[in-house]
Amino acid sequence: MNTKHWALTSLLALITFSVSASPINRIFVTNEKGDSVSVINGTSLEVEATIEIGERPRGIGLSPDGSELYVAVSEENKIKVVDPSSLEILREFEAGSDPETFAVHPNGNIYISNEDDAKATVFNPKTGEQVAEIKVGLEPEGVAISPDGKRVIVTSESTNMLHVIKAPENIIENNILVGSRPRAATFTQSGDIAYATAEISGEVVKVDMVNAKILKIGNTGDSKSKPKDVLLSKDEKVVYVAGGRANKVLVMDADTLEIIKGIPVGKRVWGLAMTRDGKRVFSTDGVSSTVSVIDTDKNEVIKTIKVGKFPWGVVIND
Amino acid sequence: MLNKTINTVLISLIATLLVCKTASAEIIEVNFAYVGDKEHSALLGVKQGLEEANLQGQFLNQKYNLDLFATKDALTHDFSDYIAVLTAVDIDNFQILAKSLSNTPVFNLSISDDSIRAACADNTLHIIPSNRMAEDALSQWQKKEADSNAKAQAWHADFVKFAARDLNKRFKKNHKVKMDDYSWSGWSAVKMTTDTVARTQITNPEKMLNYLKSELSFDGQKGSNMNFRETGQLRQLLLLIEDNKIVAEAPVRGIAKPPTLDSLGIINCKK
Repeated sequence: MNTKHWALTSLLALITFSVSASPINRIFVTNEKGDSVSVINGTSLEVEATIEIGERPRGIGLSPDGSELYVAVSEENKIKVVDPSSLEILREFEAGSDPETFAVHPNGNIYISNEDDAKATVFNPKTGEQVAEIKVGLEPEGVAISPDGKRVIVTSESTNMLHVIKAPENIIENNILVGSRPRAATFTQSGDIAYATAEISGEVVKVDMVNAKILKIGNTGDSKSKPKDVLLSKDEKVVYVAGGRANKVLVMDADTLEIIKGIPVGKRVWGLAMTRDGKRVFSTDGVSSTVSVIDTDKNEVIKTIKVGKFPWGVVIND
Repeated sequence: MLNKTINTVLISLIATLLVCKTASAEIIEVNFAYVGDKEHSALLGVKQGLEEANLQGQFLNQKYNLDLFATKDALTHDFSDYIAVLTAVDIDNFQILAKSLSNTPVFNLSISDDSIRAACADNTLHIIPSNRMAEDALSQWQKKEADSNAKAQAWHADFVKFAARDLNKRFKKNHKVKMDDYSWSGWSAVKMTTDTVARTQITNPEKMLNYLKSELSFDGQKGSNMNFRETGQLRQLLLLIEDNKIVAEAPVRGIAKPPTLDSLGIINCKK
Protein backbone atom coordinates (compact mmCIF):
# COMPACT_ATOMS: atom_id res chain seq x y z
CA MET A 1 0.00 0.00 0.00
CA ASN A 2 1.44 3.38 -0.93
CA THR A 3 1.46 6.37 1.34
CA LYS A 4 -1.28 8.19 -0.51
CA HIS A 5 -3.62 5.25 -0.25
CA TRP A 6 -2.78 4.78 3.38
CA ALA A 7 -3.49 8.41 4.17
CA LEU A 8 -6.80 8.29 2.30
CA THR A 9 -7.89 5.13 4.06
CA SER A 10 -7.01 6.60 7.45
CA LEU A 11 -8.87 9.74 6.63
CA LEU A 12 -11.94 7.79 5.57
CA ALA A 13 -11.71 5.69 8.72
CA LEU A 14 -11.48 8.84 10.79
CA ILE A 15 -14.51 10.36 9.10
CA THR A 16 -16.54 7.18 9.48
CA PHE A 17 -15.50 6.94 13.11
CA SER A 18 -16.38 10.50 13.94
CA VAL A 19 -19.75 10.23 12.18
CA SER A 20 -20.87 7.08 13.95
CA ALA A 21 -19.50 8.24 17.29
CA SER A 22 -20.92 11.74 17.27
CA PRO A 23 -23.94 11.65 19.55
CA ILE A 24 -27.06 13.22 18.15
CA ASN A 25 -28.29 13.76 21.69
CA ARG A 26 -31.98 13.58 20.97
CA ILE A 27 -34.88 11.77 22.58
CA PHE A 28 -37.48 10.31 20.22
CA VAL A 29 -41.05 9.63 21.34
CA THR A 30 -43.85 7.91 19.41
CA ASN A 31 -47.28 9.49 19.85
CA GLU A 32 -49.79 6.66 19.45
CA LYS A 33 -52.82 8.89 18.82
CA GLY A 34 -50.86 11.84 17.42
CA ASP A 35 -49.55 9.74 14.52
CA SER A 36 -46.20 11.44 15.04
CA VAL A 37 -42.75 11.26 16.60
CA SER A 38 -41.73 14.08 18.96
CA VAL A 39 -38.04 14.95 18.85
CA ILE A 40 -36.65 16.30 22.13
CA ASN A 41 -33.30 18.05 22.35
CA GLY A 42 -31.21 16.20 24.96
CA THR A 43 -29.55 19.38 26.26
CA SER A 44 -32.40 21.89 26.37
CA LEU A 45 -35.05 19.18 27.01
CA GLU A 46 -37.38 21.03 24.66
CA VAL A 47 -39.28 19.56 21.71
CA GLU A 48 -37.31 20.69 18.67
CA ALA A 49 -39.29 18.93 15.93
CA THR A 50 -42.27 16.68 15.24
CA ILE A 51 -42.21 14.04 12.51
CA GLU A 52 -45.51 13.07 10.85
CA ILE A 53 -44.92 9.33 10.75
CA GLY A 54 -48.19 7.51 10.00
CA GLU A 55 -51.11 5.88 11.75
CA ARG A 56 -50.64 4.61 15.32
CA PRO A 57 -46.88 4.61 15.87
CA ARG A 58 -45.87 2.50 18.86
CA GLY A 59 -42.54 0.63 19.10
CA ILE A 60 -39.39 2.68 18.53
CA GLY A 61 -35.70 1.75 18.41
CA LEU A 62 -32.26 2.63 17.08
CA SER A 63 -29.77 0.72 14.95
CA PRO A 64 -26.75 -0.49 16.97
CA ASP A 65 -24.60 2.38 15.61
CA GLY A 66 -27.35 4.95 16.21
CA SER A 67 -27.45 5.97 12.56
CA GLU A 68 -31.04 4.90 11.92
CA LEU A 69 -34.27 5.27 13.86
CA TYR A 70 -36.97 2.61 13.46
CA VAL A 71 -40.65 3.21 14.16
CA ALA A 72 -43.39 0.55 14.14
CA VAL A 73 -46.42 2.16 12.48
CA SER A 74 -49.04 -0.31 13.66
CA GLU A 75 -52.08 0.55 11.55
CA GLU A 76 -49.99 0.57 8.39
CA ASN A 77 -48.26 -2.73 9.23
CA LYS A 78 -44.90 -1.08 8.56
CA ILE A 79 -41.58 -0.17 10.05
CA LYS A 80 -40.45 3.26 8.93
CA VAL A 81 -36.76 4.13 8.92
CA VAL A 82 -35.86 7.70 9.88
CA ASP A 83 -32.54 9.55 9.74
CA PRO A 84 -32.10 10.75 13.35
CA SER A 85 -30.05 13.78 12.19
CA SER A 86 -32.03 15.10 9.23
CA LEU A 87 -35.33 13.61 10.56
CA GLU A 88 -36.24 12.50 7.05
CA ILE A 89 -38.10 9.25 6.49
CA LEU A 90 -35.53 7.24 4.52
CA ARG A 91 -37.56 4.16 3.65
CA GLU A 92 -40.19 1.75 4.97
CA PHE A 93 -40.91 -1.93 4.86
CA GLU A 94 -43.81 -4.30 5.55
CA ALA A 95 -43.44 -5.76 9.04
CA GLY A 96 -46.28 -8.27 9.32
CA SER A 97 -49.70 -7.72 10.87
CA ASP A 98 -50.01 -5.01 13.54
CA PRO A 99 -46.35 -4.57 14.56
CA GLU A 100 -46.23 -3.27 18.10
CA THR A 101 -43.06 -3.66 20.10
CA PHE A 102 -39.65 -4.58 18.79
CA ALA A 103 -36.02 -4.74 19.83
CA VAL A 104 -32.87 -4.34 17.77
CA HIS A 105 -30.33 -7.17 17.92
CA PRO A 106 -26.59 -6.28 18.14
CA ASN A 107 -26.30 -7.75 14.62
CA GLY A 108 -28.73 -5.11 13.37
CA ASN A 109 -31.79 -7.32 12.84
CA ILE A 110 -35.14 -6.30 14.29
CA TYR A 111 -37.24 -8.70 16.40
CA ILE A 112 -40.92 -7.74 16.25
CA SER A 113 -43.97 -9.04 18.09
CA ASN A 114 -46.98 -9.41 15.77
CA GLU A 115 -49.87 -9.13 18.20
CA ASP A 116 -52.58 -10.45 15.86
CA ASP A 117 -50.71 -13.46 14.56
CA ALA A 118 -49.21 -15.18 17.62
CA LYS A 119 -45.73 -14.88 16.20
CA ALA A 120 -42.51 -12.95 16.32
CA THR A 121 -40.74 -12.03 13.12
CA VAL A 122 -37.15 -11.09 12.44
CA PHE A 123 -36.37 -8.49 9.79
CA ASN A 124 -33.20 -7.17 8.27
CA PRO A 125 -33.94 -3.43 8.27
CA LYS A 126 -31.32 -2.71 5.61
CA THR A 127 -33.17 -4.78 3.02
CA GLY A 128 -36.62 -5.03 4.59
CA GLU A 129 -36.46 -8.79 4.18
CA GLN A 130 -37.98 -11.17 6.70
CA VAL A 131 -35.18 -13.34 8.09
CA ALA A 132 -37.21 -15.64 10.36
CA GLU A 133 -40.60 -16.26 11.89
CA ILE A 134 -41.07 -17.77 15.35
CA LYS A 135 -44.42 -19.07 16.54
CA VAL A 136 -45.21 -17.88 20.07
CA GLY A 137 -48.26 -17.58 22.32
CA LEU A 138 -51.30 -15.33 21.92
CA GLU A 139 -50.94 -11.57 21.87
CA PRO A 140 -47.17 -11.36 21.81
CA GLU A 141 -46.10 -8.02 23.22
CA GLY A 142 -42.73 -7.23 24.78
CA VAL A 143 -39.41 -8.01 23.12
CA ALA A 144 -36.02 -7.86 24.86
CA ILE A 145 -32.59 -8.94 23.67
CA SER A 146 -29.61 -9.80 25.88
CA PRO A 147 -26.60 -7.49 25.39
CA ASP A 148 -24.55 -10.37 23.90
CA GLY A 149 -27.41 -11.11 21.50
CA LYS A 150 -27.68 -14.78 22.45
CA ARG A 151 -31.16 -14.66 23.93
CA VAL A 152 -34.39 -12.93 22.97
CA ILE A 153 -37.46 -12.75 25.19
CA VAL A 154 -40.89 -12.38 23.62
CA THR A 155 -43.76 -12.05 26.10
CA SER A 156 -47.18 -13.39 25.15
CA GLU A 157 -49.90 -11.64 27.06
CA SER A 158 -52.81 -14.02 26.69
CA THR A 159 -50.67 -17.14 27.06
CA ASN A 160 -48.90 -15.68 30.13
CA MET A 161 -45.43 -16.64 29.02
CA LEU A 162 -41.92 -15.47 28.45
CA HIS A 163 -40.72 -17.28 25.33
CA VAL A 164 -36.95 -17.51 25.44
CA ILE A 165 -35.55 -17.63 21.93
CA LYS A 166 -31.99 -18.63 21.13
CA ALA A 167 -30.39 -16.20 18.68
CA PRO A 168 -29.30 -16.05 15.95
CA GLU A 169 -30.69 -19.60 15.47
CA ASN A 170 -34.18 -18.24 16.25
CA ILE A 171 -35.48 -21.33 17.99
CA ILE A 172 -37.44 -21.36 21.24
CA GLU A 173 -35.30 -22.76 24.04
CA ASN A 174 -37.69 -22.25 26.96
CA ASN A 175 -41.22 -21.11 27.81
CA ILE A 176 -41.60 -19.64 31.27
CA LEU A 177 -45.08 -19.24 32.72
CA VAL A 178 -45.39 -15.97 34.67
CA GLY A 179 -48.20 -13.74 36.02
CA SER A 180 -51.19 -12.60 33.96
CA ARG A 181 -50.40 -10.58 30.86
CA PRO A 182 -46.62 -10.27 30.78
CA ARG A 183 -45.73 -7.10 28.93
CA ALA A 184 -42.11 -6.04 28.89
CA ALA A 185 -38.71 -7.42 29.85
CA THR A 186 -35.10 -6.36 30.26
CA PHE A 187 -31.81 -8.22 30.69
CA THR A 188 -28.83 -7.68 32.98
CA GLN A 189 -25.53 -6.89 31.25
CA SER A 190 -24.42 -10.54 31.51
CA GLY A 191 -27.73 -11.74 30.10
CA ASP A 192 -28.13 -14.36 32.83
CA ILE A 193 -30.98 -12.58 34.59
CA ALA A 194 -34.06 -10.88 33.19
CA TYR A 195 -36.83 -8.82 34.72
CA ALA A 196 -40.36 -8.82 33.32
CA THR A 197 -43.61 -7.04 34.15
CA ALA A 198 -47.06 -8.66 34.26
CA GLU A 199 -49.98 -6.29 33.77
CA ILE A 200 -52.99 -7.91 35.39
CA SER A 201 -51.23 -9.59 38.26
CA GLY A 202 -49.36 -6.29 38.83
CA GLU A 203 -46.08 -8.11 39.24
CA VAL A 204 -42.43 -7.76 38.43
CA VAL A 205 -40.62 -11.08 38.09
CA LYS A 206 -36.92 -11.76 38.25
CA VAL A 207 -35.95 -14.74 36.13
CA ASP A 208 -32.83 -16.92 35.93
CA MET A 209 -32.39 -17.15 32.17
CA VAL A 210 -29.88 -19.99 32.28
CA ASN A 211 -32.14 -22.36 34.20
CA ALA A 212 -35.45 -20.83 33.10
CA LYS A 213 -36.53 -20.38 36.71
CA ILE A 214 -38.41 -17.58 38.44
CA LEU A 215 -36.18 -16.27 41.22
CA LYS A 216 -38.43 -13.65 42.76
CA ILE A 217 -41.83 -12.05 42.33
CA GLY A 218 -42.38 -8.46 43.43
CA ASN A 219 -45.74 -6.78 43.69
CA THR A 220 -46.39 -3.25 42.52
CA GLY A 221 -48.79 -2.94 45.42
CA ASP A 222 -51.50 -0.85 43.76
CA SER A 223 -54.51 -2.28 41.98
CA LYS A 224 -54.32 0.53 39.42
CA SER A 225 -50.70 -0.16 38.73
CA LYS A 226 -50.63 -2.14 35.53
CA PRO A 227 -46.88 -2.21 34.99
CA LYS A 228 -45.47 -1.80 31.50
CA ASP A 229 -41.84 -0.96 30.69
CA VAL A 230 -39.00 -2.09 32.92
CA LEU A 231 -35.37 -0.86 33.06
CA LEU A 232 -32.29 -1.62 35.15
CA SER A 233 -29.99 1.03 36.60
CA LYS A 234 -26.40 0.92 35.34
CA ASP A 235 -25.15 -0.62 38.60
CA GLU A 236 -28.02 -3.15 38.32
CA LYS A 237 -29.10 -2.43 41.90
CA VAL A 238 -32.38 -0.78 41.05
CA VAL A 239 -35.26 -1.59 38.69
CA TYR A 240 -37.43 1.17 37.20
CA VAL A 241 -40.98 0.14 36.33
CA ALA A 242 -43.58 2.19 34.47
CA GLY A 243 -46.61 1.88 36.75
CA GLY A 244 -49.37 2.41 34.17
CA ARG A 245 -52.49 3.95 35.71
CA ALA A 246 -50.82 4.27 39.13
CA ASN A 247 -49.24 7.33 37.42
CA LYS A 248 -45.88 6.57 39.00
CA VAL A 249 -42.52 5.23 38.01
CA LEU A 250 -41.72 2.62 40.64
CA VAL A 251 -38.18 2.23 41.89
CA MET A 252 -37.62 -1.31 43.14
CA ASP A 253 -34.68 -3.05 44.76
CA ALA A 254 -33.30 -5.31 42.01
CA ASP A 255 -32.52 -8.04 44.50
CA THR A 256 -35.57 -8.13 46.79
CA LEU A 257 -38.02 -6.45 44.37
CA GLU A 258 -39.29 -4.33 47.24
CA ILE A 259 -40.55 -0.86 46.32
CA ILE A 260 -38.05 1.81 47.33
CA LYS A 261 -39.98 4.75 45.93
CA GLY A 262 -42.86 5.70 43.69
CA ILE A 263 -42.03 8.74 41.57
CA PRO A 264 -45.22 10.62 40.57
CA VAL A 265 -45.28 11.31 36.82
CA GLY A 266 -48.10 11.95 34.34
CA LYS A 267 -51.12 9.74 33.73
CA ARG A 268 -50.85 6.19 32.33
CA VAL A 269 -47.08 5.95 32.32
CA TRP A 270 -46.04 3.50 29.63
CA GLY A 271 -42.57 3.67 28.04
CA LEU A 272 -39.18 4.16 29.71
CA ALA A 273 -35.68 4.89 28.44
CA MET A 274 -32.40 5.62 30.20
CA THR A 275 -29.49 7.78 29.07
CA ARG A 276 -26.21 6.01 28.35
CA ASP A 277 -24.64 7.44 31.53
CA GLY A 278 -27.62 6.21 33.57
CA LYS A 279 -28.29 9.67 35.04
CA ARG A 280 -31.72 10.24 33.57
CA VAL A 281 -34.82 8.19 32.89
CA PHE A 282 -37.49 9.42 30.47
CA SER A 283 -41.08 8.20 30.83
CA THR A 284 -43.99 8.55 28.39
CA ASP A 285 -47.19 9.56 30.20
CA GLY A 286 -49.90 8.54 27.72
CA VAL A 287 -53.07 10.20 29.00
CA SER A 288 -51.24 13.42 30.02
CA SER A 289 -49.47 13.64 26.64
CA THR A 290 -46.20 14.39 28.43
CA VAL A 291 -42.72 13.00 28.88
CA SER A 292 -41.27 13.13 32.40
CA VAL A 293 -37.54 13.47 32.94
CA ILE A 294 -36.28 11.72 36.08
CA ASP A 295 -32.95 12.45 37.77
CA THR A 296 -31.78 9.01 38.92
CA ASP A 297 -29.56 10.35 41.74
CA LYS A 298 -32.54 11.85 43.55
CA ASN A 299 -35.20 9.77 41.81
CA GLU A 300 -37.24 12.91 41.21
CA VAL A 301 -38.87 14.45 38.16
CA ILE A 302 -36.80 17.43 37.04
CA LYS A 303 -38.86 18.36 34.00
CA THR A 304 -42.17 17.57 32.31
CA ILE A 305 -42.28 18.02 28.53
CA LYS A 306 -45.49 18.36 26.52
CA VAL A 307 -45.40 16.07 23.48
CA GLY A 308 -47.98 14.69 20.99
CA LYS A 309 -51.18 12.81 21.79
CA PHE A 310 -50.77 9.57 23.75
CA PRO A 311 -46.97 9.17 23.88
CA TRP A 312 -46.11 5.45 23.83
CA GLY A 313 -42.47 4.52 23.23
CA VAL A 314 -39.25 6.41 23.87
CA VAL A 315 -35.67 5.95 22.76
CA ILE A 316 -32.55 8.03 23.33
CA ASN A 317 -29.81 8.67 20.81
CA ASP A 318 -26.89 9.83 23.00
CA MET B 1 -19.57 -53.50 9.58
CA LEU B 2 -22.72 -55.47 10.29
CA ASN B 3 -22.08 -55.15 14.01
CA LYS B 4 -21.69 -51.45 13.65
CA THR B 5 -24.99 -51.21 11.75
CA ILE B 6 -26.81 -53.29 14.35
CA ASN B 7 -25.33 -51.14 17.08
CA THR B 8 -26.46 -47.95 15.36
CA VAL B 9 -29.96 -49.36 14.88
CA LEU B 10 -30.11 -50.47 18.51
CA ILE B 11 -28.91 -47.12 19.78
CA SER B 12 -31.44 -45.22 17.72
CA LEU B 13 -34.18 -47.62 18.78
CA ILE B 14 -33.34 -47.13 22.46
CA ALA B 15 -33.12 -43.39 21.92
CA THR B 16 -36.54 -43.39 20.24
CA LEU B 17 -38.06 -45.41 23.06
CA LEU B 18 -36.56 -43.09 25.65
CA VAL B 19 -37.84 -39.99 23.88
CA CYS B 20 -41.33 -41.50 23.49
CA LYS B 21 -41.42 -42.46 27.13
CA THR B 22 -40.42 -39.01 28.35
CA ALA B 23 -42.83 -37.31 25.97
CA SER B 24 -45.81 -39.46 26.90
CA ALA B 25 -45.01 -39.14 30.59
CA GLU B 26 -45.01 -35.38 30.36
CA ILE B 27 -48.16 -34.76 28.32
CA ILE B 28 -51.16 -33.68 30.34
CA GLU B 29 -54.46 -34.40 28.62
CA VAL B 30 -57.66 -32.79 29.83
CA ASN B 31 -61.27 -33.27 28.64
CA PHE B 32 -64.12 -30.77 28.64
CA ALA B 33 -67.79 -31.61 28.13
CA TYR B 34 -70.23 -29.16 26.60
CA VAL B 35 -73.92 -29.76 27.18
CA GLY B 36 -76.49 -27.86 25.16
CA ASP B 37 -77.57 -26.83 21.73
CA LYS B 38 -74.82 -27.03 19.12
CA GLU B 39 -76.11 -23.81 17.58
CA HIS B 40 -75.82 -21.84 20.84
CA SER B 41 -73.26 -19.03 20.62
CA ALA B 42 -71.78 -20.17 23.96
CA LEU B 43 -70.28 -23.13 22.08
CA LEU B 44 -68.34 -20.80 19.77
CA GLY B 45 -66.71 -19.25 22.82
CA VAL B 46 -65.94 -22.69 24.22
CA LYS B 47 -64.27 -23.62 20.93
CA GLN B 48 -62.30 -20.37 20.92
CA GLY B 49 -61.10 -21.10 24.45
CA LEU B 50 -60.08 -24.64 23.48
CA GLU B 51 -58.09 -23.45 20.50
CA GLU B 52 -56.23 -20.89 22.59
CA ALA B 53 -55.58 -23.41 25.34
CA ASN B 54 -54.12 -25.86 22.85
CA LEU B 55 -51.88 -23.13 21.48
CA GLN B 56 -50.58 -22.56 25.01
CA GLY B 57 -50.49 -26.34 25.54
CA GLN B 58 -48.00 -26.77 22.69
CA PHE B 59 -45.42 -24.99 24.80
CA LEU B 60 -46.25 -26.86 28.00
CA ASN B 61 -47.09 -30.36 26.74
CA GLN B 62 -50.76 -30.03 27.56
CA LYS B 63 -53.64 -31.10 25.35
CA TYR B 64 -57.31 -30.20 25.68
CA ASN B 65 -60.26 -32.07 24.18
CA LEU B 66 -63.93 -31.19 23.86
CA ASP B 67 -66.91 -33.56 23.67
CA LEU B 68 -70.40 -32.33 22.87
CA PHE B 69 -73.57 -33.71 24.44
CA ALA B 70 -77.23 -33.05 23.74
CA THR B 71 -79.07 -32.21 26.95
CA LYS B 72 -81.16 -35.42 26.99
CA ASP B 73 -78.04 -37.61 26.65
CA ALA B 74 -76.12 -35.68 29.28
CA LEU B 75 -78.57 -36.32 32.09
CA THR B 76 -77.57 -39.98 32.32
CA HIS B 77 -73.94 -39.72 31.21
CA ASP B 78 -70.91 -40.52 33.37
CA PHE B 79 -68.72 -37.38 33.35
CA SER B 80 -65.97 -38.66 35.65
CA ASP B 81 -63.33 -38.30 32.91
CA TYR B 82 -64.02 -34.59 32.49
CA ILE B 83 -62.35 -31.64 34.22
CA ALA B 84 -65.53 -29.56 33.90
CA VAL B 85 -69.00 -29.59 32.35
CA LEU B 86 -69.91 -26.45 30.40
CA THR B 87 -73.60 -25.89 30.00
CA ALA B 88 -75.97 -23.81 27.89
CA VAL B 89 -79.22 -25.48 28.99
CA ASP B 90 -82.49 -24.40 30.61
CA ILE B 91 -82.78 -23.81 34.33
CA ASP B 92 -84.41 -27.17 35.19
CA ASN B 93 -81.83 -29.24 33.36
CA PHE B 94 -79.04 -27.11 34.81
CA GLN B 95 -80.18 -27.93 38.31
CA ILE B 96 -80.55 -31.65 37.57
CA LEU B 97 -77.08 -31.80 36.02
CA ALA B 98 -75.46 -29.84 38.83
CA LYS B 99 -77.02 -32.09 41.43
CA SER B 100 -75.86 -35.28 39.76
CA LEU B 101 -72.25 -34.02 39.38
CA SER B 102 -71.56 -32.86 42.91
CA ASN B 103 -67.74 -32.93 42.70
CA THR B 104 -67.33 -31.55 39.20
CA PRO B 105 -67.35 -27.86 38.23
CA VAL B 106 -70.59 -27.19 36.31
CA PHE B 107 -70.38 -23.90 34.43
CA ASN B 108 -73.51 -21.88 33.66
CA LEU B 109 -72.94 -20.02 30.40
CA SER B 110 -76.47 -18.91 29.61
CA ILE B 111 -78.91 -18.52 32.54
CA SER B 112 -79.25 -15.11 34.17
CA ASP B 113 -81.93 -16.15 36.73
CA ASP B 114 -80.94 -15.11 40.28
CA SER B 115 -82.52 -18.09 41.98
CA ILE B 116 -79.73 -20.46 40.92
CA ARG B 117 -77.17 -18.08 42.43
CA ALA B 118 -79.14 -17.85 45.66
CA ALA B 119 -79.31 -21.67 45.73
CA CYS B 120 -75.55 -21.63 46.42
CA ALA B 121 -74.84 -25.14 45.14
CA ASP B 122 -71.20 -26.01 45.83
CA ASN B 123 -70.29 -26.99 42.29
CA THR B 124 -72.06 -24.38 40.14
CA LEU B 125 -70.03 -21.59 38.58
CA HIS B 126 -72.00 -18.81 36.88
CA ILE B 127 -70.00 -16.93 34.29
CA ILE B 128 -72.90 -15.09 32.69
CA PRO B 129 -73.99 -12.12 34.85
CA SER B 130 -77.25 -12.42 36.80
CA ASN B 131 -80.35 -10.30 36.21
CA ARG B 132 -79.75 -8.55 39.50
CA MET B 133 -76.21 -7.59 38.48
CA ALA B 134 -77.54 -6.08 35.26
CA GLU B 135 -80.29 -4.20 37.17
CA ASP B 136 -77.79 -2.80 39.69
CA ALA B 137 -75.47 -1.71 36.89
CA LEU B 138 -78.33 0.08 35.15
CA SER B 139 -79.59 1.82 38.29
CA GLN B 140 -76.06 3.07 39.03
CA TRP B 141 -75.87 4.48 35.52
CA GLN B 142 -79.33 6.03 35.73
CA LYS B 143 -78.29 7.98 38.83
CA LYS B 144 -75.83 9.73 36.55
CA GLU B 145 -77.80 9.75 33.28
CA ALA B 146 -81.44 9.48 34.44
CA ASP B 147 -83.02 9.30 31.00
CA SER B 148 -80.82 6.49 29.78
CA ASN B 149 -82.36 3.39 28.28
CA ALA B 150 -79.12 1.47 28.46
CA LYS B 151 -78.86 -2.28 28.88
CA ALA B 152 -76.12 -3.99 30.91
CA GLN B 153 -74.06 -6.66 29.18
CA ALA B 154 -71.07 -8.84 29.98
CA TRP B 155 -69.41 -8.14 26.66
CA HIS B 156 -69.61 -6.13 23.45
CA ALA B 157 -67.92 -6.53 20.09
CA ASP B 158 -66.80 -2.88 20.19
CA PHE B 159 -65.06 -3.26 23.57
CA VAL B 160 -61.37 -2.47 23.10
CA LYS B 161 -59.94 -1.76 26.55
CA PHE B 162 -57.92 -4.33 28.48
CA ALA B 163 -56.98 -6.08 25.24
CA ALA B 164 -60.67 -6.83 24.61
CA ARG B 165 -59.90 -5.57 21.11
CA ASP B 166 -57.58 -8.55 20.57
CA LEU B 167 -60.08 -11.13 21.81
CA ASN B 168 -62.87 -9.62 19.66
CA LYS B 169 -60.57 -9.59 16.64
CA ARG B 170 -59.44 -13.21 16.85
CA PHE B 171 -62.94 -14.47 17.70
CA LYS B 172 -64.43 -12.70 14.67
CA LYS B 173 -61.63 -14.01 12.47
CA ASN B 174 -62.25 -17.61 13.56
CA HIS B 175 -66.04 -17.69 13.75
CA LYS B 176 -67.14 -14.94 11.34
CA VAL B 177 -69.57 -13.56 13.94
CA LYS B 178 -69.19 -11.03 16.73
CA MET B 179 -68.46 -12.22 20.25
CA ASP B 180 -71.54 -11.90 22.47
CA ASP B 181 -72.17 -12.44 26.21
CA TYR B 182 -72.64 -16.19 25.80
CA SER B 183 -69.54 -16.72 23.73
CA TRP B 184 -67.50 -14.59 26.13
CA SER B 185 -68.84 -16.80 28.95
CA GLY B 186 -67.88 -20.00 27.12
CA TRP B 187 -64.43 -18.65 26.35
CA SER B 188 -63.95 -17.52 29.97
CA ALA B 189 -64.96 -20.86 31.48
CA VAL B 190 -62.42 -22.71 29.34
CA LYS B 191 -59.71 -20.08 29.77
CA MET B 192 -59.87 -19.97 33.56
CA THR B 193 -59.80 -23.77 33.77
CA THR B 194 -56.97 -24.27 31.30
CA ASP B 195 -54.92 -21.42 32.81
CA THR B 196 -55.29 -23.25 36.12
CA VAL B 197 -54.14 -26.54 34.58
CA ALA B 198 -51.13 -24.73 33.08
CA ARG B 199 -50.16 -23.16 36.41
CA THR B 200 -50.98 -25.94 38.84
CA GLN B 201 -51.12 -29.14 36.74
CA ILE B 202 -54.44 -29.91 38.47
CA THR B 203 -56.36 -32.47 36.38
CA ASN B 204 -58.80 -33.71 39.01
CA PRO B 205 -62.28 -32.10 38.79
CA GLU B 206 -62.78 -31.81 42.53
CA LYS B 207 -59.40 -30.16 43.04
CA MET B 208 -60.14 -27.89 40.08
CA LEU B 209 -63.46 -26.87 41.66
CA ASN B 210 -61.73 -26.01 44.92
CA TYR B 211 -59.06 -24.02 43.15
CA LEU B 212 -61.54 -22.08 41.01
CA LYS B 213 -63.71 -21.22 44.01
CA SER B 214 -60.94 -20.24 46.40
CA GLU B 215 -57.76 -19.26 44.57
CA LEU B 216 -58.72 -18.07 41.12
CA SER B 217 -57.33 -14.81 39.79
CA PHE B 218 -58.63 -14.65 36.25
CA ASP B 219 -57.74 -12.35 33.38
CA GLY B 220 -60.91 -12.28 31.28
CA GLN B 221 -59.70 -9.36 29.14
CA LYS B 222 -62.01 -7.12 31.16
CA GLY B 223 -59.32 -5.51 33.27
CA SER B 224 -59.45 -6.72 36.82
CA ASN B 225 -58.47 -10.01 38.29
CA MET B 226 -61.74 -11.89 38.43
CA ASN B 227 -62.85 -14.49 40.97
CA PHE B 228 -66.00 -16.16 42.32
CA ARG B 229 -68.40 -15.15 45.06
CA GLU B 230 -69.61 -17.80 47.48
CA THR B 231 -72.79 -17.90 45.41
CA GLY B 232 -70.69 -19.21 42.54
CA GLN B 233 -71.12 -16.00 40.53
CA LEU B 234 -68.07 -14.57 38.74
CA ARG B 235 -67.29 -11.02 39.88
CA GLN B 236 -66.99 -8.87 36.79
CA LEU B 237 -67.27 -5.48 35.21
CA LEU B 238 -70.41 -4.90 33.11
CA LEU B 239 -70.83 -2.72 30.06
CA LEU B 240 -73.76 -0.34 29.60
CA ILE B 241 -74.99 -0.37 26.04
CA GLU B 242 -77.29 2.17 24.42
CA ASP B 243 -78.15 2.07 20.70
CA ASN B 244 -75.62 -0.73 20.38
CA LYS B 245 -72.86 1.56 21.66
CA ILE B 246 -70.86 1.28 24.88
CA VAL B 247 -71.79 4.30 27.01
CA ALA B 248 -70.31 3.32 30.38
CA GLU B 249 -68.79 0.62 32.54
CA ALA B 250 -70.26 -0.57 35.83
CA PRO B 251 -69.41 -0.26 38.69
CA VAL B 252 -70.11 3.35 37.67
CA ARG B 253 -67.33 5.56 38.98
CA GLY B 254 -68.44 7.93 41.74
CA ILE B 255 -71.83 6.23 42.11
CA ALA B 256 -71.24 2.58 42.97
CA LYS B 257 -71.43 1.66 46.66
CA PRO B 258 -69.17 -0.03 47.54
CA PRO B 259 -67.05 1.24 44.62
CA THR B 260 -66.16 -2.36 43.76
CA LEU B 261 -67.47 -5.23 41.65
CA ASP B 262 -69.55 -6.23 44.69
CA SER B 263 -71.88 -3.30 44.06
CA LEU B 264 -73.44 -5.52 41.40
CA GLY B 265 -75.79 -8.35 42.35
CA ILE B 266 -76.20 -10.56 45.42
CA ILE B 267 -72.99 -11.27 47.25
CA ASN B 268 -73.54 -13.80 49.99
CA CYS B 269 -75.37 -17.06 50.57
CA LYS B 270 -78.05 -17.02 53.24
CA LYS B 271 -76.66 -18.95 56.18
